[in-house]
Amino acid sequence: MQDTRPTQQRERLSTALAAVADGDQAALREVYDSTSAKLFGVCLRICQDREAAEDVLQQVYVKIWHRAGRFDAQRASPITWLCAIARNTAIDWHRANMVAHLPASAAAAVADPSPLAPEMIEAQQQSARIFDCLEELDDRPRTAIRSAFYDGLTYAQLADAMTVPLGTLKSWVRRGLIQLRGCLGDG
Amino acid sequence: MADPMSAEERDALAGELALGVLVGEERAAAMRLRLSDPAFAAAVNDWNTRFEPLYAGFAESPAPALWPAIQRRLAAPDHSRIRRALRLWRIGAVASSALAASLATVILLRPPPAPVEIVRPPEQVAVAQLGTEEAPALLAVNYDPAGGVLRIRAVRLPESRLAPELWVIPADGVPRSLGLVASGGSSTVAISAANRALLQDGVTLAITLEPRDGAPHDAPSSAPIAAGKISAI
Repeated sequence: MQDTRPTQQRERLSTALAAVADGDQAALREVYDSTSAKLFGVCLRICQDREAAEDVLQQVYVKIWHRAGRFDAQRASPITWLCAIARNTAIDWHRANMVAHLPASAAAAVADPSPLAPEMIEAQQQSARIFDCLEELDDRPRTAIRSAFYDGLTYAQLADAMTVPLGTLKSWVRRGLIQLRGCLGDG
Repeated sequence: MADPMSAEERDALAGELALGVLVGEERAAAMRLRLSDPAFAAAVNDWNTRFEPLYAGFAESPAPALWPAIQRRLAAPDHSRIRRALRLWRIGAVASSALAASLATVILLRPPPAPVEIVRPPEQVAVAQLGTEEAPALLAVNYDPAGGVLRIRAVRLPESRLAPELWVIPADGVPRSLGLVASGGSSTVAISAANRALLQDGVTLAITLEPRDGAPHDAPSSAPIAAGKISAI
């Protein structure tokens, strides 16, 4: 992150979001051009359906259009803020639409031992720390946290899929989160 | 009030909220905490930052037709969507079904505790339910940004010689009066141009009981009896 390119990109995005907050549609287009592939990846991963993910992505940019005024460049990185909107919108879609398919899809999701595509390896190099820290967790907390993250599953869905009591699952995840934070050592 | 959570538990809760594993009242409680406690909000943001690199490598280009579709959504209200929104809103208002629970978010103004169910319909209409913990649906609100008209249906307001006054509380935390509303049945409030800018997705609406004289007032004189967040303009 000390690299100047991410810093420049961050500044450019923050500036564009400020213009979006003022109702500048060209600025929204700029945000779209530089972030839609990433945000679409987020939506697609959680929705697991291209058409749904494209509909969700439209909702995401409409939300960005209306919410840009709430982005605070002092407190958050623009891409993190945008990813959180995409993630939450996709999760809402998932919760509203996937109920009938559970727990089978959830079981399949948690049974996937490695959601990491080969092309991710390179990208990982830059941000290896969170990946390394996940690897340090015990199997079950790691599986639960990964499935929650990549598949948008709730505690109840995870507990069903992993066939453990809800309380046990929650304590795995909480313990895992505390351990993750300790490992990342970022405060 | 003593805080029963340790710093570690509190941080894990922030992580759970960022991860998206919470539902129902647990999620609601965490979202209330995020609204009321800037340190907790920062902790949630820190978790989002920690998790964000996990998406590295998933980037994929959406269809080229998507940008024009977004532009259309920014421009034109779509009435079938509005109808669907209202239908969902009614489902959410009446039943705490799985669907409603999945769409519901809860907000708190302090004091008193006032969780409110909100349904997120598509963008062109904003809806909110205003209430308290014991009575989540004291008022139902929908807002048509194109017309600048807010419709309020009072479902169950306490009998009072005072009148319900509606406030919008934007990000700066300063309530602005939108005027008095009827304590029973429906009322329609035309929103001034200045206040229209404040009625963004995510701002809080609240009701206080105020004297009729001098309304709209500069500031509320009492704690809200109902509150909720406006959603999805």
